[in-house]
Amino acid sequence: MRLLVVEDERELAQLLRTALERAGFAVDLAFDLAQADDHLVMTAYDTVILDLSLPDGDGLASLRRLRARRSTVPVLLLTARDGFEDRVTGLDAGADDYLIKPFHVPELIARVRALLRRPDAALGVTLTLGRVALDTTTRQVRVGGVDVAFSVRETTLLELLLRRQTRVVSREALEQGLYSFDAQLGSNAMEVLVYRLRRKLDEAATDLCVHTVRGVGYVLAERA
Amino acid sequence: MTVHGGSLSVRLGWRLAAVMLVAIALAAGGVAWRAIATVHELDDSALQSQVRVIGARLPPEGDAASITLPDDLVAPFRASDGDNVFLIYQGSHLVATSDPAEAARLEPLLPHPLQLGFFRVPPSVARIHGMIGLAAYQGMRRVVVLQGREQSAVLLDSLAGNFLVAVIWLLLPLGLVTTGVGVWTIRRGLSPLRHVSAAAARVDPNQPGERLPTTALPSEVAPLVLAMNDALARLELALQAQRRFVAEAAHALRTPLAVLTARLDGVGDGETAEAVRLDVDRMARLVGQLLRMARLEGLPLDLTQPVDLRAAAVEAITALVPLALRDRIDLALLDGPSVILPHGNRPALVLAVANLIENALAHAPPNSTVEVVVGAPARVSVRDEGPGVALADRARIFERFERGPASHEAGAGLGLAIVAEIAAAHGGSACVTGRPGGGAAFHLVLHPGDSAASQWLECENENVEPSDSVWATSNAAA
Repeated sequence: MRLLVVEDERELAQLLRTALERAGFAVDLAFDLAQADDHLVMTAYDTVILDLSLPDGDGLASLRRLRARRSTVPVLLLTARDGFEDRVTGLDAGADDYLIKPFHVPELIARVRALLRRPDAALGVTLTLGRVALDTTTRQVRVGGVDVAFSVRETTLLELLLRRQTRVVSREALEQGLYSFDAQLGSNAMEVLVYRLRRKLDEAATDLCVHTVRGVGYVLAERA
Repeated sequence: MTVHGGSLSVRLGWRLAAVMLVAIALAAGGVAWRAIATVHELDDSALQSQVRVIGARLPPEGDAASITLPDDLVAPFRASDGDNVFLIYQGSHLVATSDPAEAARLEPLLPHPLQLGFFRVPPSVARIHGMIGLAAYQGMRRVVVLQGREQSAVLLDSLAGNFLVAVIWLLLPLGLVTTGVGVWTIRRGLSPLRHVSAAAARVDPNQPGERLPTTALPSEVAPLVLAMNDALARLELALQAQRRFVAEAAHALRTPLAVLTARLDGVGDGETAEAVRLDVDRMARLVGQLLRMARLEGLPLDLTQPVDLRAAAVEAITALVPLALRDRIDLALLDGPSVILPHGNRPALVLAVANLIENALAHAPPNSTVEVVVGAPARVSVRDEGPGVALADRARIFERFERGPASHEAGAGLGLAIVAEIAAAHGGSACVTGRPGGGAAFHLVLHPGDSAASQWLECENENVEPSDSVWATSNAAA
């Protein structure tokens, strides 16, 4: 997995390169927009980490050029601004995620991994959390290296939760991912399915727990 | 706002009408004055010619006590029925007159001694208008001719009557037309100002480029509009400078913190590293809150987008679920109506709700529930099962750098102040009440177009302990 980090603060750029390489990524650095554009034209990156304030212009300009070339490479914005309009502008310009400085490097790595997990990012990804791993191609769930049988619905629910692990997935998003539009849903179909997944995770002695956020959705997290 | 100037066209109308009336009065007076002068000149020349005619027909001078004048000279005077009289003196002795009875009545009224030239006989019982007379020497005799003033008075009356009719039918319509044209000109000339005021109403901190239109403006008001546009340009510059400063300050403060955080994350685990990491997080949090506070105070929020309050609450909850999970607190969004705030700023409202939730999480005991409720017409409430807020502290906690007695370690005391600021920016307010069954309930009330008083009532209804709610708004002191 090859990443491009566009950051004019050289010290921060070097620190990020060290940390990301330690996490197993190949990292190229660009210190301004011109360098970034050169790199992006020549190399196909898996994810771009883009600082917004660069000495020769706004990172958003580079992002717009990138999207104008119909590139779908995931872009994570780094910004020192968190004005009440800036984040919207960044996402409108085609960014996939953003982090406000200062941020913790583990958080950055987790966000980059989440971007790489996105369905359109790559095929055949193994999603993992705690002792649980799910191969999105074979639909096989393994707990601590041992295959465990999950039903089709349970596997899909687990995949949807794993893709946004430790973050809340709304009930609507889960229903859309689980059922076709014309399916006749019982009022408590979701609750029943979540109950079954919880029991399965307990029986398989996993360290995962599906928390209910009442009125919002569900979140999959490691048991504290 | 009271307008004291009154209507320009009404003022012009009244003034033009007054000017027309004065003009009519002056014209009438002038014509009358000229007419009187002319009548007097005519009278004078008539008297002079009478003196000449009489003087030419006088018999040669002698010592006779009376003289007889030809009948054709005396007859017209007699026929005038006392309006025209002549008297002829030799020394102080009256030697002839056109009408002895009239002469006897007039003699005491004549000036004494009788000077040569014109004189006036004051009004008397018989002649209310008085008479005018001329005394002239003819040899040794004095000829005195008198004429009544009735003629000129009648002439003046008729003149005044005719004149007034002419004025009413000619000057009055002219005056009305002049006034009308003046008012119409003013109205038409000032009508571009309507476009100017419409544009001025659109001027807003979020559209600082807006300028007032200057086309078709009369030259009298153009300087005002141009000066307003100059003032708007200066305000726009100041706003841009403020915007630049906030952005640059954010960059200048956050970049070294980002380097510091990244370096610490590379140091690895250890008691000291963990402690320093917490310190840096706390510092970063404070810097973030200070920058947000500076931005909210220095720059206007863009309040042009409709905001779904329920969706904003979901976004805030989603962001804080990891924190709630860590602290083993159940975070829940209760059933409530869907509320769309027509004019709001979604990121700001998400931040406000997130700050309320963070505050609740900091005070809630483990295994308790923090509930978020969206209520109609436009309210978001966050309720916790913590110790609650003492009555005495309820106003204070929305102030800057104010930390409650049971405050969270990392709290800088700006979270709730930011909530109050965002609420005020939306024309609403933030308040805290007691939660039924113990704990605190914080409310973000954003009723569009509602007064602070009715928002207060809203909080009162929510309250189990009436009269103990405390509001934090920009105008709470008012």
